[in-house]
Amino acid sequence: MSAQVLIFGALNGVGIGMIYFILSVGLTMIFGLMQFVNFAHGAFYMVSAYAAFAIAQWTGSVLPAFLISPILAAIFALVSERLLLQRTYSLPHEAQILITFALAILAQESVTMIFGTLGKNVPVPEVFSGVLILGGFVYPSYRLFVVGVAVAVAVAMWLAIERTRFGAMVRAAAENAEMMGLLGFDSRKVFMAAFAFGGALAGLAGALAAPLRGVEPLMGREALAIAFVVVILGGLGSFNGALLAALLIGITQSLMSMIWPGGAHLMIYGVMTMILAFRPTGLMGRS
Amino acid sequence: MTTEGLRFPNGTTVVIAVFLIALPCILPSLTLASEILVLATGALSCTLLLGSVGLLSFGQGLYFGLGAYVSAILIRDFELTALAATIVASLAGCLLAAAAGLLIVRRQGVYFVMLTLAFAQMGFFLALAFPRLTGGENGFGNVPRTTIAFGQFALSNPLLLYAFLAFLSFAAFALVQRIVASPFGSVLNSIRYNESRSEALGYDARRFKLAAVTMAGGIAALAGAMNTLMLSFVPLSAIDVETSERLLIASLIGGVGSPLGALIGASVLSAMSDFLSPIWPRWSTIVAVLLIVTVLFLRDGLLGLGGVLRRQGKEMPNG
Amino acid sequence: MAEILLSAQGLGVRFGSFNAIEDLNLSIARGTLHSVIGPNGAGKTTLFNALSGTRIPTQGEIRFQGHPITNVPAYGRVHLGLSRSFQLTNIFRDLSVAENILLALQAVAGREAWAFWRNRDPLKVRKKRAAELADTVGLSARFEARAGDLSHGAQRALEIAMALASDPKLLFLDEPLAGMGLDDVHRTKLLIKSLAPERTVVLIEHNMSVVLDISDTVTVLAQGKKIAEGSPQAIRTNVEVKNAYLGSAA
Repeated sequence: MSAQVLIFGALNGVGIGMIYFILSVGLTMIFGLMQFVNFAHGAFYMVSAYAAFAIAQWTGSVLPAFLISPILAAIFALVSERLLLQRTYSLPHEAQILITFALAILAQESVTMIFGTLGKNVPVPEVFSGVLILGGFVYPSYRLFVVGVAVAVAVAMWLAIERTRFGAMVRAAAENAEMMGLLGFDSRKVFMAAFAFGGALAGLAGALAAPLRGVEPLMGREALAIAFVVVILGGLGSFNGALLAALLIGITQSLMSMIWPGGAHLMIYGVMTMILAFRPTGLMGRS
Repeated sequence: MTTEGLRFPNGTTVVIAVFLIALPCILPSLTLASEILVLATGALSCTLLLGSVGLLSFGQGLYFGLGAYVSAILIRDFELTALAATIVASLAGCLLAAAAGLLIVRRQGVYFVMLTLAFAQMGFFLALAFPRLTGGENGFGNVPRTTIAFGQFALSNPLLLYAFLAFLSFAAFALVQRIVASPFGSVLNSIRYNESRSEALGYDARRFKLAAVTMAGGIAALAGAMNTLMLSFVPLSAIDVETSERLLIASLIGGVGSPLGALIGASVLSAMSDFLSPIWPRWSTIVAVLLIVTVLFLRDGLLGLGGVLRRQGKEMPNG
Repeated sequence: MAEILLSAQGLGVRFGSFNAIEDLNLSIARGTLHSVIGPNGAGKTTLFNALSGTRIPTQGEIRFQGHPITNVPAYGRVHLGLSRSFQLTNIFRDLSVAENILLALQAVAGREAWAFWRNRDPLKVRKKRAAELADTVGLSARFEARAGDLSHGAQRALEIAMALASDPKLLFLDEPLAGMGLDDVHRTKLLIKSLAPERTVVLIEHNMSVVLDISDTVTVLAQGKKIAEGSPQAIRTNVEVKNAYLGSAA
């Protein structure tokens, strides 16, 4: 295999990995804050991807979706929190899991009712429809754009968490959820904000992924499983862990798809199993 | 599960037996009755885990699929009898569950749940990645309907097939009842109720959980083998995440407070599917709503409906 | 000098960046009633959790009868002869008093907990032992009652009975008198006192008069460190101890 093909594959892997990261980081931070796992997280991703499809259909370009989809996803998150989730806070964890799971089913069925069961394509935005040529090296512009956006988001998040007061709160609360109340913050508001933000991130991931993968009703389910792998591997509540794990499985998937396409997805779970066998707490998480 | 004064066999055992016998008489088709049995047995594995030990598993479909494929391969390519293939398939389910369990039971609460989902997805991709073994997207076909009881009864007879499936189901249900009503069951219950207290008494919670996970894997695999016998075919969907979800939903709707719940939930879900899917393809919407209602208001599922109505105003039963 | 049954050296328990216990040394002599006191947040329950195995310490070593047990999990320590009761009542509310105690007895009955092929009827001798334990803590009259229906004092008594079920050499009692009425306090005080010297008892309590009355040794913790240790008399007059209590909002 030539070096260029390998680099191509690795770059693809980074692109996929960064999308996985944006998809998963909201999930992991919310768990760190509230011990809450959202089984509708994949639904946020899916709904946003379909919104991107719709926007591309109506306006001719998917570009506005990169802004609108995350906002839509955030609204979806807030509405479901108000209507359903807040009833489950006094119930055991299983209740929250099952309610969000039911929500995911509802989202999937709704989308299928509106758009049908077949997958659809989403065209890459015109401005990125070309390729970038550096020396003898050719790479699709859109993929570079995705990597760029993802890196920008990751850096912004990192700065927010490490350098701002709000970020310090989040980190402290992730370490010890009781501290939130002790520090005098309305934990409900913090949670709603974090939940909406996590949903928005999943939405961004969905919109970014739509031109690459198309949309289909089952994509949310698969996204959820991937997010879980990232979060499990990276350690619940760990920003760095999520980044590392996402890149790891993105690159694994991409390289595998060149060597053994049928087993590319399988290898993600294979890697997860192997790492868990030796490091039960994941790559970087606390137990 | 509420376990005070529980014994095996008891009234519920009789109810289950009657249910199994009556099902084909009440329903319009033997096929539907058989489907219910398969779904109920699969759901039973979720009921055992959630009701007894408090472990929520989104991944019983992995073992269901394993049981389906293993039994199919054994019957078609190794010419084992139906019973032998079923037993081996169930044991395979136990083995895989034990292996996965070793990795999973170390983790608590939501970690465990997430891992079960991840493993369920892995099973799907495993089957897809080895099409020569599993038939891939086309499934594994041409599984002959053999005979049971030393060639006396041919499974090609639908009624005999149902009887055999009912026998297997009953065995599974009896096993779960047996477990729950035993000292072992009392330990599982204490772990579900308060794991750290249980450990402080001297119980190694992880080992008990592993045992429960292993048994549940075997039961799910049994259901998968039953599925193969029923269809003579293993579709790829037997191992997909949706199967895992369906097993879980059936057990939840029926109520995890008793093995009977798996039977009820499976009946309701299958009947809905049979009745509604030709009318409204998106009937899963109703299932999702039913699930929400169950979680928020019917903590013990449909089985607990009577209890909920009676106990209005009093403390809700411990779920 | 009495034999040291349980010792901790350089014990430390960290939560993230917070040291709940730091560099703690403790020796419990066999057959004594050893109390641990201190203002709220001193780390008493954390100490118990480390000593009983509920939480593995981040630093230091614990030895029981000379053997290191630092990393032995809680369920393992029970089989070695340690047992504990909990500060927040931790009984199985939906089971009867009898079933709670039987569950505790079953845990140390070898392989019995794994029997899945028979019903739960406990052996006669086991039932008799459960009845004895219930009687010891004054719960005979409520033997078949649902644990969740018991009064608070009775539930605390059940906690002790369950901790005694494993016939422990060393018993950790975490605030056994918390929330009890005067009669219960008196009865429980006598019960706890009667446990030593046959068993060794380590006690966390806020009820100072009881502590000073029945203890052989008292250790005082404040902010995760040991600040004093000695006979009740010595502690009663210790200036630093007074400051620790007055200084905190306890």
